[in-house]
Amino acid sequence: MNDSMSIPHLIMNASLIVQLVMLLLLAASIASWIIIFQRGIALRRAEKAYRDFEDRFWSGVDLNELYRDLPAEHESLGAEHVFRSGFREFNRLMAKTGSVDAVLEGVQRGQRVALSREEDRLQLHLTFLATVASASPYIGLFGTVWGIMGSFQSLSMAQQATLSTVAPWIAEALVATAMGLFAAIPAVIFYNRLSAHAGRLLGKYENFAEEFHAILHRNLQGRSERAAS
Amino acid sequence: MAKRERRVGYGWPVLLAIGVHIAALMLTVIKWPESTPDPTSSSVVQATLVRAETATNQPQQTKDATPPATSQPKDQEDASQPAASPPPEPSDQPTAESDVQIPDEVVEEAKAQAQRLQEEARRAAQQRAEAERQRQKEAAQRQAQAEAERKRQAQAEAERKRQAQAEAERKRQAQAEAEQKRQAQAEAEQKRLAALAERAAQANASSLDELISEEQQSIANAEQASEAANGFKNLVRRYVEQSWNLPSNISSDLRAIVQIQLLPTGELVSATILQSSGNSTFDRSAINAIEKASPFREMSKLDASVRDQFREFNLDFNPEDIR
Repeated sequence: MNDSMSIPHLIMNASLIVQLVMLLLLAASIASWIIIFQRGIALRRAEKAYRDFEDRFWSGVDLNELYRDLPAEHESLGAEHVFRSGFREFNRLMAKTGSVDAVLEGVQRGQRVALSREEDRLQLHLTFLATVASASPYIGLFGTVWGIMGSFQSLSMAQQATLSTVAPWIAEALVATAMGLFAAIPAVIFYNRLSAHAGRLLGKYENFAEEFHAILHRNLQGRSERAAS
Repeated sequence: MAKRERRVGYGWPVLLAIGVHIAALMLTVIKWPESTPDPTSSSVVQATLVRAETATNQPQQTKDATPPATSQPKDQEDASQPAASPPPEPSDQPTAESDVQIPDEVVEEAKAQAQRLQEEARRAAQQRAEAERQRQKEAAQRQAQAEAERKRQAQAEAERKRQAQAEAERKRQAQAEAEQKRQAQAEAEQKRLAALAERAAQANASSLDELISEEQQSIANAEQASEAANGFKNLVRRYVEQSWNLPSNISSDLRAIVQIQLLPTGELVSATILQSSGNSTFDRSAINAIEKASPFREMSKLDASVRDQFREFNLDFNPEDIR
């Protein structure tokens, strides 16, 4: 490879705007990779935590005991959070009213709030990945267009335009597009992957919430029948 | 339950992300061992430059009165001794299956001329035998002068470098005075030497010296010309090879000699069969190859003297069977 056409050399010789574009793209790329790793680890841990919790939940343990075992509200995550908020609502309403419908409605509402919080938490920063994925090719393209504009402006000054006078400029400008794609491609791939993962996990939480709700419903039905008889 | 661990920090992700980017950067910076592509010299076709019209335009030609080689008999002679051909390589194209040879006719011509010139020089020296002693003295003086000149140039070179360094240093350290003194001294020295050399040069100018140097010059010219001719010859050979589509069903011992006339710009004036192979398809393929390969733009880069050698020359199409 010719030394004057190596990529670091091209970057160093680019015009200021193109360099700024490249810097922006580099920052976007680094940030998106940080998010990719952070979300990847977080989602994997959340999945594992959900599996652990599900095992405990269906192991036949007493729900009151389970509730006491779990840590305080702001610490719990995922399905635990859903369980806790539902169960707390259940306990509080049971103490106040005997109406089955009111209790179940309250439980459902509490679970819904917890679920939407969990959704937020799971999809944290994923929109940034989507932004990088869709915007950075355009930013890179802007850098390229700007560079080529500059190259043609300076070309108009030159006596004769051969390929070898244009080539370095264009190669230099194209580095910006390459960097845009370099930032965008992983962002696209991992955005799809991570958001699918988060959606799957959220579906599991919802299923769990329904199941839990069904248990409470069964329980209350039994009690109300006993009270009626 | 270690729930606190579940909150994922940003420390590791940051490190990993930076690691990914550094790795990507390394990939672009590291020079991979390049796989050198095999020199695909497709010299399976051999066309032989049988004769070049050796009409050099050098001033010595009037003295030498070299008769331009009238070609036909010589042509045959040369054609009959095929030059050492490179071993034919198997090629993808079945069409180009033969060898090209161009004997170093032009080079030899130039060498012969150089030799003639040297002889001429020697003769001239003998004719001036009575001035021999004087000439020797003059030569010695000339040597001394040249030596002085060389020394002066070397000194000037060194001085220039030193000046540049000194200027940089002055900017930084303001050690101007000592440096300037040295410069002044050196300049005085230079002037003195230059004056000396000039005087010597004026004193020693003589017609004999001029003659000798002129002849040396022309010898050098001839050598250069032969090199250029060689390069152009190879070029023509390669172009014709590349564009030669050999008809498939011909016997391998066919041979055609084609005469080519070129403009000084390298464009083809005419290509005519000088000696037919007896197979019209083969002859046509040879002419087609030349037409396809022309124009030979590199011709305009040659010296005028060399160019004239190639205004008209013959190509020997001689496919050797490699099947």
